This record gives sequence, structure tokens and C-alpha cells, in this order.
Amino acid sequence: MQPLTLRRLVLRCTALAGVLFVVVVLALKLGAVQVSLYGLAQDLIRFALHQTKEISSNYSLIVFDIRLPRILLGVFVGASLAVAGTSFQALLRNPLADPYVLGVSSGAAVGAILAVMIAPHLALSPDAAVLLTPVGAFFGALVTIAGVYLLGQRDGEIDSTTLLLAGIITASFLNALIMLLLNLISGRDHGGMSFWLMGDLSTPLQDNLQWVMRAGFFLAAGAIYTTASDLNLLLAGEKEALHLGVDVPRVRIVVYVAASILTGLAVSVSGAIGYVGLLVPHVMRMIFGSDHRILIPAAAFGGAIAVVLADMLARTVAAPSELPVGAMTALAGAPLFIYLLRRRMA
Amino acid sequence: MLLRGAFFARRNAVDEPRLSRGAFFCFEADTLVRGADLRIGKKFWRIGLAGTVLASALLCAGLMRAQAPGVPNSPSAPNAPNVGGAQGQQQDNEKNSGTKPAQETAPSSGSPSGSSGGAHAYREVVDETGRTVRLPQPVERIVSLAPNLTETVYALGLQDHLVGDTEYCDYPPEAQKKAKVGGTINPSIEEVAALRPDVVLVTSINRFETERALDNLNIPVYATDPHNVEEILNSTIKLADVLGAAQNGVTLAGEMQQRLSELQQRIGELEPRRVLFVVWAEPLISVGKNTFIADALRKAGAVSIVETTQDWPKVSLEEVVRLQPEFLVFTTQNDEKAPDLLALSALPGWRSLEAVRNHHFVLVSDAVNRPAPRIVSAIEDMAKQLHPEAFVDGPGGPPPAAPEKLEKPNTTPQTIPPAEFASLVQNVAGVCAEPEVTICNR
Repeated sequence: MQPLTLRRLVLRCTALAGVLFVVVVLALKLGAVQVSLYGLAQDLIRFALHQTKEISSNYSLIVFDIRLPRILLGVFVGASLAVAGTSFQALLRNPLADPYVLGVSSGAAVGAILAVMIAPHLALSPDAAVLLTPVGAFFGALVTIAGVYLLGQRDGEIDSTTLLLAGIITASFLNALIMLLLNLISGRDHGGMSFWLMGDLSTPLQDNLQWVMRAGFFLAAGAIYTTASDLNLLLAGEKEALHLGVDVPRVRIVVYVAASILTGLAVSVSGAIGYVGLLVPHVMRMIFGSDHRILIPAAAFGGAIAVVLADMLARTVAAPSELPVGAMTALAGAPLFIYLLRRRMA
Repeated sequence: MLLRGAFFARRNAVDEPRLSRGAFFCFEADTLVRGADLRIGKKFWRIGLAGTVLASALLCAGLMRAQAPGVPNSPSAPNAPNVGGAQGQQQDNEKNSGTKPAQETAPSSGSPSGSSGGAHAYREVVDETGRTVRLPQPVERIVSLAPNLTETVYALGLQDHLVGDTEYCDYPPEAQKKAKVGGTINPSIEEVAALRPDVVLVTSINRFETERALDNLNIPVYATDPHNVEEILNSTIKLADVLGAAQNGVTLAGEMQQRLSELQQRIGELEPRRVLFVVWAEPLISVGKNTFIADALRKAGAVSIVETTQDWPKVSLEEVVRLQPEFLVFTTQNDEKAPDLLALSALPGWRSLEAVRNHHFVLVSDAVNRPAPRIVSAIEDMAKQLHPEAFVDGPGGPPPAAPEKLEKPNTTPQTIPPAEFASLVQNVAGVCAEPEVTICNR
């Protein structure tokens, strides 16, 4: 393992940020409606110089009002999922740990469906009604992850195998519940929910929700990053880490709560986008090594890149129809995972 | 310096073998533990926390700023030039801006605002889901997000104003040539926005999310939500008024009602056939009693054996065998279903149905699945197949309907005499025109 220097960290992050920037520009350009690269570049430069008045109106509505919010949402969702996945994998010392394996997405889906079902019975203003689904999903995610945490304890200690098994069982139980509830909701909501279950970034967030998403991401990811060096030691095992001076219970609580919040935020606004939290940490670990002080920011960038790319494919492959993002990540993710697995064995 | 000392190794620290790099599951932690520099400095987490909070505040501010100036203009402002990006749109623009003054008075409009306001007139209407929609007047660019709405727009003679529809809009055939914005569930919002619609029409098959996304872009969305044949007629009248062709709507609905009344005279006093409407054969999905299809069946002199409030119930075949429907109703596109029926007849369960043994199948075009004016033809078609005896003699038909026998409350076909209907039409038109409409000139 190479010792970490500030220079290495900054270099890695700059490189990844550059890739992310290229992907974002590409995603801004590509879509159902053709946008010329030259016009887009002009507009972006004007945008960067805050000459917003001079932006040519040709693409401004499509690029800046439709694509940009969606891409930013994808960036935050991807980064949240990947950081949560990285920290769960380190905390549970299990390469399979992933927000989705732990049942969080199913819990969020149940919360969202329940919110859709009770929405007509509450006299809410339209603005509040719009917030109900993400809020329901968020609480569904948190309740599930707290339940899995309690189920995963053994003699007052967290046992990573028990926790994973508890997560898998909870997920399959909740999935059965989802199938049941989906039969009870009416046609219009049904179509929406079944799309939501496969991951969907097409609904823009309200401004205030975007604030919540961003602030929540930076706070939770920051909290996880403060434990980066502890996570490195935790890879040796909890006892070993304890002997080396790591306050294991504190790290466990910080990482667990922060990663749950990240997952809850991501799932509540985008539905279930699988494979990002599982695969991106592994890919990043192959490239940058398993030092979490580099791995966590790298995974954040990697997750953002992966989701923005997947969403770009979802928007363009069957244009003008849109495909669910979750289907794209699973289609690309599963073969990649198998490839990595075989390569490692060889 | 503190940071470098605490968190990062110094450059000349012991160089260790890069063992874990490239490993897939990097949990071989003994190589990690040797790096003594991995955990130095207990105060690091405070510094890190402060740093992240600061960074997050900065980034949030930056991103909010990037978002906010976006584009304040509303896409529906008719004066905004060239908002659409695609080349085809440019031509449309030219054509439109050229003909706009001429078209302002073109489609006869029931409301006075249609011709008075010019380019800046707006009209507020309440759609069938109770949302208030603010529409620019006159409505010149319509995007339809459902096949039945596309059909209705064509039936109202507004096809020149229809600038985009979905991939499923296949009737009339010319509708397939319109610009496509994707499917009904998953249309591309940017495609819709690029068409600069004055109004986007949605119905109960579209997602709320699509509606909300368009709302956020200030694109007016008008939703229809008919649940039975009467509501299809009323919905047509109201939609016509909203789109500025009120007279066409009343005429069209009048014709539809006329045909339905004639049909009722022929088959009104006949006993309704007990049928099973097959939406999907395996698994068997039928229609609930609150759907417009169930109502169309009633109008065609039939009653569905499935009585549930669920809209698209999955029905047990056992139950069907017990209830023994007289006819099975299938929808078809281009007679594709014919071989399917033979295969179905051979299956256990299905073959013990009287209707299958007697080949009592009713094939009806998929117009019956669409709450659009064409449903009347589908109803007539079903009636002819269900009650052939009522159609053997000439157009005179059997004597006018005697008072219906009230066997089951919801099986009795409802008839509205033409006179009553005329008042109904006026009512609906009046409701549309007066209390809900406010005109604001800007």
C-alpha cells in the first residue's frame, strides 16, 4: 500500500472530477432532442461567466431546465449510493454489502407506496402532496435499516453475517409486501410506482428538496469521511481495530447512521437504482486501492459518473421513450461484475 | 501542515509494497495494519468535520446558483422565439408565426376569450381531475400523451393543431406521422418541451410524475378522466371547448349520442348477454364494473359476469367456469387473435366453457379499450355480434324500446332521450363556459 499524500489525493480527485465533467457535458449534449456541441459550448461558457441573459434561447429550456437538474440529481444519487456502499462494505467486512442487499430500497418502496395510498385521505395542499412520496420513502428506508440493525445484533454485538442475512430476508419480505400493495393501488399510481421501482430520475425535485438532498449528502458523506482511517483498520477485524485504538462502537454508529441517511435520500428521490452501491466501490478499489481516505471520494465520483452515464443511456437508447435507470445500471452492472469476478479468479 | 502530519503520510515515509492495489476484494487487511500512518492524530475528525461542513456550504451555494438563473421564461409564452431545438421545429415555427394572426379566429370557439385576447390572452379552466389549468388563447399547439386523446383531437377536426403524440397513437393512420414524444408512461419531457405546446393532454394512463414534470416547466397540462360512456361524451364536449372548438364537440357528442340512442332502440328490451370481457388471457384479466369498458358492454346489451370494484381484476378460471358466460369478448388488432382462440379452446378449464364449445366469441376492435369517440362504433360492433337477431330486419328495426325490465340494477342500459341529452349538452357546455372560466389579459 502506498502512503497517502495530499498530492496523490488531489491528483486522483482532480482526474475523476475531470471525467465527471466530460460525462456531464456529454449528458447535456445527448438526448431525445438534438443539441449542437458548438451552441452548447457557447452557452456553457456564458453560463460560467454568469452572462445568463445572453444564453441563446435555442436550447436553454431543454438543456438548463430539463437536462441539467436531472443530471445534478443523478450526480448526487450516484455519489450517495456509492459512498453508502463503500462504507457498508468496510463496516460489515463483506464484499456483498450494499444498500439494496440490506433491504433499504424495498423499505423505501413500501414507504412510498403507503404514502401514495394515504395521500388521497389527507387533505393536503398540492405542494405538500408532492413531498409526501419522498418523505414516505425516506422514512421507510430509515425504519427498515433500523429494523435490520436490531435484527442483526447478536448478544448485543453486531455480527456482519447475521446483519446481511437479516437484510436479505427483510428485503424479500418487503418485496412480497410491495407486490401485494401494488395490486391495491389504482391505475395511474400503479404505472408511476412500477416505474419508480426500477429507478427513475425524470421527475425534477423542488428547490427546497434539492437543498435537503445536497446538504444531507455533504453532511453524511463528510461524517463517513472522518472515519476513513478507522475504516482502514476495521478491515483487519473489529478486535484488531479495537486493539489499535479505534473506537469501534462510535465508528459503527457514525457510519451506519450516515450511510443509512445517504441511502434513504438517494432512494427517496430516485427509486431503486441497483448495482451502483455494490459495483462502483469494487471498481474503484481495483483502480485506487483499498485506502478509504482515497476510496471514499473516488467512489463518490465513480457513482456519480456511473449514474449519469446510465441515465444518459436510459434517455437515448429508446428515444424518445425513456427507459428506467435501474434497468440500465443492472444491464451494464451484472456483466461487469461477472467480468471482474472472473478476472480476479484467473 | 497539521493536516499533512495527521492524515497523510510524509512523502519520504516507508514505501510499502503495493499489495492491495488491484485486488478485487481488498480485505487482506494485514497489509493495511502495517501502515502505521493510517491512523495518526485523534483530532483529525474534528478538522475533517469542519472542513466538510464548509465545503458543503460552498458547494451548495454554488450549485444553487447554477440552478437558479436557469431559464425564467415560460415555454408557453408565445413570443419566445425558437425555443424548440430540432430542425423540424424551426420550420414549424416559421409556419406558425406566419399564420398566427389568421388562425386566431379560425376554429369557432365557445368562449369569448378565444378571439378577443390576441397573443397574450389566457384562460383558466378546471380539468377533470380538479386541477386549474391556465391556457394561452387560442390553443394552437397541442401535444397528446394518450391514443384516445389523439383520436378525440382528430375527431374534433383539430389535427392541424396537434404537433406531437405518442408511439401508441396509431389511429387514425395519419396520427402515426406526427412527431413522437415517446410512450404514454415514459415520454421524453424534453421532446414535449421542444414542441412548445400550448397544452399537453393527459389521461388516466399517464403518470402523475409526467404531469408534475411538465407543471414545473410551466407547460399547461389538461387531464381527462372518463369512467363511463356518458363521461366520454361529456369529456369530449369539454375538451373541445378547452381547445377552442366547442361547436365541433357538441356536434360530435350529439352524433355519438344519436347512434347510441338508435342502438338502444334496437336492443334495449332484449335481455342482456352475460359475457366475460378478456383483457388478457393468461393470466385471465377482465374489467371491473367501474370501468368505461364495463359501461360500453352495458350499452352493447351485455353484462360482465365479473362484478368487482377493482378496475383490472385477475379472475380465477374456476369462477368463470362456475358462472358460465354466454359470450367471451376479445379485443383484436388486425384479426391477430383468431389462431389464439383455437389454442385457448384446447386448454383445460377454457374448454369446459359453454361459450368456447359453442364458439360464442365476440371479436371487437381495440377501439373499445380507448375512451374516445370511436368507442361508439365498437359498441355497435359488439351489439351486432351479441344480438344478431336485432339487426336482421331493415333500418326500421324493432319497435321503440319498451320500458326496460329491471332485473339487476347495473345491467339495465341507460338511455337518455335526445331531448334530455340536448339539455345535458347545454348544461355541460354552460358549465365549461361560465363559472370556471376567467379571462385575464396580460
